[in-house]
Amino acid sequence: MESVGNNDANRDELIIQQQREIEKEISDSTPLVSGQLPLTCLREEYNGDEIFTEKIRELSKKYKFIRRTRPDGNCFFRAFAYSYLEYLITNNTAYQEFKILAEASKDKLVQLGFPSFTLEDFHETFMDVIKRVNPTNSEENEKVKNELHTVFNEQGYSDYVVVYLRLITSGKLQEDADFYQNFIEGDFSIEEFRHQEVEPMYKESDHIHIIALCTALGVGVRVEYLDRGEGDQVKAHDFPEGSEPKVYLIYRPGHYDILYPN
Amino acid sequence: MSSMSPSERRLQKELMSLIKEPPQGVTVDTESVHQNLSEWKINIKGSEGTLYEGEDFQLLFKFNNKYPFESPEVTFIGTNIPVHPHVYSNGHICLSILTEDWSPALSVQAVCLSIASMLSSCREKKRPPDNTLYVKTCNKNPKKTKWWYHDDSV
Repeated sequence: MESVGNNDANRDELIIQQQREIEKEISDSTPLVSGQLPLTCLREEYNGDEIFTEKIRELSKKYKFIRRTRPDGNCFFRAFAYSYLEYLITNNTAYQEFKILAEASKDKLVQLGFPSFTLEDFHETFMDVIKRVNPTNSEENEKVKNELHTVFNEQGYSDYVVVYLRLITSGKLQEDADFYQNFIEGDFSIEEFRHQEVEPMYKESDHIHIIALCTALGVGVRVEYLDRGEGDQVKAHDFPEGSEPKVYLIYRPGHYDILYPN
Repeated sequence: MSSMSPSERRLQKELMSLIKEPPQGVTVDTESVHQNLSEWKINIKGSEGTLYEGEDFQLLFKFNNKYPFESPEVTFIGTNIPVHPHVYSNGHICLSILTEDWSPALSVQAVCLSIASMLSSCREKKRPPDNTLYVKTCNKNPKKTKWWYHDDSV
């Protein structure tokens, strides 16, 4: 154990300062969750790149709109929560069921050994957000969707939701540790993985995070993978396999955004 | 209470719990906290049957207004800094949950328990190998060091 290049303390400081500046630039320039944008806006990012342009053209046959999330390492959790709650606004039965499941999730996490003390805060705010997007009647849907958008762009609420989903994910990994251990590369134990790659903020999500969260909440997610891989089609993957997707996301290396199917 | 920021509310809640049900060997210096909620001094006793039995240490926790989303800054202070392979003689501690593995679900109590367990599992009292150089050149704030955690077993 040692500090990295301890004779370079100034360099450490410069690196950290630079990281902060980059983070600040990102947070100043991109909202936590953007408005709905036409999917074709992606083209600008890959200007002139044939593979991507073709894939975006194919993808736009299935999806008209995209909603961007801030690339801060929490994008999967934020995108998932936003997209699922947006779906629930239009489906009162599913909303009521989810509310019950969410209410009960705290006791389950406490049973799994999470400290109820810190959990309470996050659970309370999580329930708060769910209650604020209660679909009263279909005429009010637009109003409730605006409320959802406002809440998710308030860091205080938005980040609490992310934390809580991270804890649910971590809880699922622990509950079914024997199963999830198979997905973990290297010498990590499930315990280490949960504490180092799931529970801390800003740590990016991998398949294992997605599978655990979707399974814990019983929500199907389809992820469209836009990358430089072979063929002119974007590959889609459903989590858990064979489920009916309620949440649609687009993955580009290192980042998730929300998609809207036609 | 309502005029408190979320971070102050959380700290207040943690403080009450730590005073009411402190982990073994851990006591908050309430005097210090009442003066300033963003800086806590916490006394920690070396556990029986370990290399630090009979020793008393003091930790300083500093919180900013992004707590619990950002980790507290934690250092040993006072005249007795434990001689340990993860603790520099200026009080800085190399512990991953204090920087990159911090999670908002952790707490002051969890940090104290981690530090106590780090001390308890020590088999040989010695300073980190790069102690002299680090202490001479580091920033006052240990969170400004890019730590390289490569041995959790010590």
